[in-house]
Amino acid sequence: MILVVAEQRAGALNRASWEAVACAQQLASGEPIAILLPGGGDAAKTLADAGVGEVLTVQDAALASYTPDAQVAAVAAVIAQTTPRLVVMAHTYQARDYAPRLAARLRTPLVADVVAVKGSGAAATFLRPMFQGKLVAEVAPQGDGPAIVTCQIGAFRADGVTKGAPAAARALSVALDAPSRQTVEPPFQEARQAVDLGQAERIVAVGRGIKSQDQIAVAEKLAAAMGAEIAASRPICDNGWLPMDRQVGSSGQTVAPKLYVALGISGAIQHLVGMKGSRTIVAINKDADAPIFEVADYGIVGDLFDIVPAMTAEIEKQSH
Amino acid sequence: MARERETLDVDVLIVGGGPAGLSAAIRLSQLAKARGGEAPSIAVLEKAREAGAHLLSGAVLDLSALAELLPDYRALGAPLLTMVGRERVYFLTEHRAIRAPLIPPPLANHGNALVSLNQLGRWMAAQAEAAGIDLFTGFAGQEVLLDGQRVIGVRTGDRGRGKHGEEKSAFEPGVDIHAKVTIFCDGVRGNLTKQLRRTLALGQGREPEQFAIGIKELWEVAEGRIDTGTVMHTLGHPLRHEEFGGGFIYALPDRLVSLGLVVGLDYHDPLFDPHVAFNRFKRHPLIARLLDGGRLVRYGAKALPEGGWNTVPRVHADGALIAGDAGSFVNSVRLKGIHLAMRTGMLAAETAFEALQRGDTSAAALSSYQTRLDGSAVRKELEPVRNVHQAFGHGLVPGLLFAGAAMLTRGAWLGDLHGDAGHTRMRTLRWYYGIDLASPAASRDVPPDRVLTFDKVTNVHYAGTAHDEDQPAHLLVHTEVCTSICGTEYGHPCTRFCPANVYEIVRDASGAPRLQINASNCVHCKTCDIMDPYGVITWVPPEGGGGPQYTGM
Amino acid sequence: MKIAVCIKQVPTREWQPRLTDDRTWIREADASFEMNEPDAYALEEALRLREKHGGEVVVCSAGPARVQQVIREGLARGADRGIHVDGAELGAADGFMVASALAHAMRDEAFDLVLTGLQSDDQGHAQTGVALAELLGIPHSTIIMDVEVSEGRVRVKRELEGGWFQWVAMPTPALLTIQSGINQLRYATLKGIMAAKKKEIRSVTPPAGLTPGLKIVGLSLPSKSKQTAMIDGAPAQAAAELVRRLREEARVL
Repeated sequence: MILVVAEQRAGALNRASWEAVACAQQLASGEPIAILLPGGGDAAKTLADAGVGEVLTVQDAALASYTPDAQVAAVAAVIAQTTPRLVVMAHTYQARDYAPRLAARLRTPLVADVVAVKGSGAAATFLRPMFQGKLVAEVAPQGDGPAIVTCQIGAFRADGVTKGAPAAARALSVALDAPSRQTVEPPFQEARQAVDLGQAERIVAVGRGIKSQDQIAVAEKLAAAMGAEIAASRPICDNGWLPMDRQVGSSGQTVAPKLYVALGISGAIQHLVGMKGSRTIVAINKDADAPIFEVADYGIVGDLFDIVPAMTAEIEKQSH
Repeated sequence: MARERETLDVDVLIVGGGPAGLSAAIRLSQLAKARGGEAPSIAVLEKAREAGAHLLSGAVLDLSALAELLPDYRALGAPLLTMVGRERVYFLTEHRAIRAPLIPPPLANHGNALVSLNQLGRWMAAQAEAAGIDLFTGFAGQEVLLDGQRVIGVRTGDRGRGKHGEEKSAFEPGVDIHAKVTIFCDGVRGNLTKQLRRTLALGQGREPEQFAIGIKELWEVAEGRIDTGTVMHTLGHPLRHEEFGGGFIYALPDRLVSLGLVVGLDYHDPLFDPHVAFNRFKRHPLIARLLDGGRLVRYGAKALPEGGWNTVPRVHADGALIAGDAGSFVNSVRLKGIHLAMRTGMLAAETAFEALQRGDTSAAALSSYQTRLDGSAVRKELEPVRNVHQAFGHGLVPGLLFAGAAMLTRGAWLGDLHGDAGHTRMRTLRWYYGIDLASPAASRDVPPDRVLTFDKVTNVHYAGTAHDEDQPAHLLVHTEVCTSICGTEYGHPCTRFCPANVYEIVRDASGAPRLQINASNCVHCKTCDIMDPYGVITWVPPEGGGGPQYTGM
Repeated sequence: MKIAVCIKQVPTREWQPRLTDDRTWIREADASFEMNEPDAYALEEALRLREKHGGEVVVCSAGPARVQQVIREGLARGADRGIHVDGAELGAADGFMVASALAHAMRDEAFDLVLTGLQSDDQGHAQTGVALAELLGIPHSTIIMDVEVSEGRVRVKRELEGGWFQWVAMPTPALLTIQSGINQLRYATLKGIMAAKKKEIRSVTPPAGLTPGLKIVGLSLPSKSKQTAMIDGAPAQAAAELVRRLREEARVL
């Protein structure tokens, strides 16, 4: 049995949990999947209705707000009770906070930030990035205990989950003997001074082809329509047309969003190393020989000032 | 809030952690140990983040100096990659490689070792540190400290200044290091040696300095393409009769190949681009066949002093000595300078040590350095070939004839030839081409294919060069020239001779040119400081720690 | 306060990969090494805490002899002493194995706070710090932006997804993994570099019986080949087609 640990906050299920299910389905070779939702609640029904496996919930006052101590204790107890072969979860901030402790407690390996699975069943190996994306490592967990696998956000497709007949949700009782040592205050939002492009799901980036500072507005309209962040290659930031925290590349940020749209960017290697891990890359450039096309999934050779407004209009049209 | 300026007092300050500086440091510690008693305090400054990071060369090493400095160098693990095996010299035409029937003696390398200067530097630094010497990496010498005509030390560069010169929160002002003797080993066109030359007129009565640029790549090639230890030198294509230089290909262990092109920085053609020439070199069948199926590992470039013995300045002053490339101690005919850097470093150390013992570090006391040099293997080697580079100034054939004659006669009966500073030999567009504006077609090259040949921007990525972006630009340019006359006179040659795409001319809306300086691409080669025809570019060190990472070069 | 900072030595950011013949690790001889940048932020935070609250900062690193480079650098920036868990196999080991080695060396020191970077720039498991907390039996929190110390307790600002934050309090001793970029890193001064040579680096043998939890089966360069779908046509049509494909095929809109 493969155990997926789903995540929720304030009763809302983290979408990445479905990606963990997709990963687990790929790993399962004829074995059942169970999904653990610490804290239980309404989200358990959503999971159960998808029919991907038995849904297990644990509830305890200590789990009302996430703390690593309580989370580790609860999940460890469930693993002891249900003896899964593997434990899978999404590589979220929360997983990064407690999964290594869980693995250390159980003395089992942790395979973190997995982008793909090779094979299935007991012989499956895991692909994960190393050296800041310069290399891909194929790793195999050692030993008998249930390895814990965290999957990179966006690497497995939530819509690739095979659904089935609605299953039941079962409450497990666990005894969390020690109180959590952490006291948490409610989370809050803060306007960030610096943009964290690393968090953005979609990015629209401009290069020299944008020609002037005021024409960046064309790209900004596209970004707004797609819910994307604006970024730039180095010359744009060097000119002061955009702040340095918007720079992508070897002297700026390294990003790997779901979608990266490169407008008027030639694709010098210094820029490519900052974004070629993006899942879908679109390049629009006048120069058919621009290196950016070598890493793009979709490309248009043409004038971005004709193409981008048309794209913006198309996207806005369909969302109304 | 500015922190207070640190000061440090030492007996000997060595600027530069390359083969000259480290040899000086090691020799000093040997002398101190032999004498016993309290050792002189020694500090070595190195602008790179770690020793060796800014060192690059072919290189075939003449082992004699290393054997003198550290006789048990093999037992100490000196990184000799392999001994020279098969040797070849070729004259290249565009499509053919004509093999020379014999190896001209200056290019004969039997008994020498192939090394990576970067690795050698790292190893030498480890030897120096094992001897207890303080090696301060990440500290760039910014300014010579003078008391009248006496050199009293060096001030290092500030760290933590933003793009517009403002002090950031971690700001540290440069350190003032006072020393009884400062040994300047700051390399080719060293910025401190340049200051010294100007302030103390060290070049008076000597021939003007002359330089070349060397562009090098390290490749991993397919199995069995070339035997380890093979040393090949080439003349001819892609260089024309008016351009001095040649190519090298050295086969290292582990399927690595070091290859490069050396071009004199005294060419006439304002549109000449050394990087374009290097790509042409690589496309020659002799080299293309070797690299086919391989992979680029690293790229780099550096100037080298080429003028020889007659261009060596006065290398001693009150409180100061100069060694290594900074003193132009390179044998351009043998293409060797590392052993000379080591030798002059050792002689400078011996001079400094003696001066400290006698309590007299004046120019008069330190002039014994010149006496030592004159009696040394350095002079024996450099004096006979003192005119060769200057002879090439008259063209390839005269140069070769002259070099041959110099070799046979050991330079004895030939008078001294006069040379010119290289940047003065660049001709204007009108003189050379009869045109008033450089047309794009004049760049005369095929676009790089990104498999065998690369554009400068891609190449620079493989130099691993990195600088904190938020610092003042370290290339000081009097840009009025760029926007007024340079375009029509020379066609902005800085955009061509810089191997790292630091200089770009961008046009504003009205088409007017503006110089854009991509300072963080800089690989510290010094070509711009040397070759700009107006002499308006001054290279100063960027914040310490920044620059290329020449691992394996 | 007695603060430990765990620092890893990693290949420099500019390093280009060259693999061993069996492709299970990199050719270390071809690499240059430096302090893991996230750990540098942890060190900076530790030095600031010592400036505020007094005490001692101890730099700990596990790996072969070459890791002394980063311990020395930590000392040069102001740490008081160092601990080197000296084991050749620890340089390439997984996070739990390294944490086990570190815990063995650190346990008896009774640190009030242990700081680490949030992950290493080489293997990037983001595991060592948190595993170390479990092995030392102390509470932890990760990706910390701000640290407030009071008597026997620490209150920290933890970063969450999407611009959310949370304050968490726990008793000391505790372990924190520090977010990068929260402070300007100080430079090592000349005096600092010289003083570092005289500071103590205690060498510890790793415990017996450490076994890897992960085996690297093979390393490879990410595949370069991509089928680029070039979209032709007049701008308006090409734009519409692109949007359609992004929506329906790639499903990123």
